[in-house]
Amino acid sequence: MRKYFYILKSECMSNLQYAFDILVGFISYCILIFIFLNLWKYIYQDPNELINGYSMNQMIWYVIVTEILWMSLGGRKLCKKICNDVKSGNIAYNINKPYNYVEYALFNHMGLVIIRFVLVGLLGLILGLLFLRMFPELTLLEGLAVLFSCLLATIINIFLVISIGLISFFIEDANPFFWVYSKMILVVGTIFPIEYFPQALQPIIKFSPIYVVSYGPAKLFVDFSFMNWVNITIAQFIYLGIAFLICHGIYYKGVKKLNVNGG
Amino acid sequence: MLNKVTFFSNIIFMILNNACFIIQWVIIYSLKNNVGGYSFKQILLLWGIAAGTFGVAHFFFKEAFDLSDTINTGKLDAYLIQPKNVLISSITSSVEVSCIGDMIYGWIMLFLYGFSIKNALLFLFFSITGGLIIASLAVIFGSLSFWFGRVEIVANTINNLMTTFATYPEGIFKGFVKVLFYTLLPIGFVNYIPINLLKEFSLLQFGIVVFITILFIALAFFLFYKGLKRYSSSNLMNARV
Repeated sequence: MRKYFYILKSECMSNLQYAFDILVGFISYCILIFIFLNLWKYIYQDPNELINGYSMNQMIWYVIVTEILWMSLGGRKLCKKICNDVKSGNIAYNINKPYNYVEYALFNHMGLVIIRFVLVGLLGLILGLLFLRMFPELTLLEGLAVLFSCLLATIINIFLVISIGLISFFIEDANPFFWVYSKMILVVGTIFPIEYFPQALQPIIKFSPIYVVSYGPAKLFVDFSFMNWVNITIAQFIYLGIAFLICHGIYYKGVKKLNVNGG
Repeated sequence: MLNKVTFFSNIIFMILNNACFIIQWVIIYSLKNNVGGYSFKQILLLWGIAAGTFGVAHFFFKEAFDLSDTINTGKLDAYLIQPKNVLISSITSSVEVSCIGDMIYGWIMLFLYGFSIKNALLFLFFSITGGLIIASLAVIFGSLSFWFGRVEIVANTINNLMTTFATYPEGIFKGFVKVLFYTLLPIGFVNYIPINLLKEFSLLQFGIVVFITILFIALAFFLFYKGLKRYSSSNLMNARV
């Protein structure tokens, strides 16, 4: 395990060198939050009104948290990297190293996610406080529980994105699969809590990855309850196992098809 | 086209990718009948025009969005020695296949909004004018590299802002942002005025869109050729076959 933490540490150090580039990427984050602030202000004529159990401030905090998780994930970059590794044959250089490629990709990418999460997280909190002048009521312990939920959500998400990228073993370009996955997470998972969807759809969404990678941590942030935390954490561990198996399954099946021409 | 599966999957998944956003608006319209002055059908049309204009710009002028990199890395050399217009040949040198999906999606949205010969002609016309404005804007900001070097971040940010704002109704924004929509981020001329015109035609507004399109194209050519005089080769070996 030490070797993976070494990869994580060196990737964190490397990404710190590019903190400015990451900061510039935050402009998109600010714009998105600005758009949703306008949209929800337009929809909630009275800020104290409750729609589907959420106040306007809770809805905006919900979007802030889900967007922090999504923006810090850098899923498109990860998927593109995995696709390129497979397509270019670069993966052959990783296979003969004393580590597992999937775990290497996970820890390597976590190095980027941690830096982004800290920076986007701080920005999100500042934006929320600036626009809304309030903060959800959370004790220190509850805050740590939310952070733990965010960590699990990110690891599950990374495994799922790596799985999508590894589809390149079977078809040439797996990026289109990522577009649809990302839009499903963005539209169904980041903009609205599950309670906003029709009753018939809610159980389906609760069983989908959206519940564990997006809704769960954000719901805990805006409306924490211990029972909710337990339920969400159990669901996250189940999904973590499933995502781990899917990812390794695709990898071992795909690597048998690998054909690299030396040069 | 590398292979047929990739070609078609790129197009189909782009259509699906865009279609996902309908869910967002179905939910928003279940809360309110009118968002920012737009009915649900007009939101579909807004998405149609946004996707259509994005598709035209990124399919036909894909390299306009990488112009800054082309200039900085000396890749312009390959276009300078050819007996063709340097700007046009450099920004049209490759295509983005997935953008065919954006263009098809635009037409699907028009059908859902309400198809008629008049609407189809106007939609086609505004897809082209909008695409030209978006591409011109990319050239304008990309050309700044002639003076300021690495400005990819600025150019990319402007291009991203255009795409992000383009799918939300104008009415939800207030104050300074609205001014931006008719100046630095000309979404008003790319999306909002065309939507008004499809609803109710006005010769004056139509003329304004045409005038602004020509203005942006002229500005893009002017800045690019003004900057080109400052361009110096990086001795990059590159072949255009």
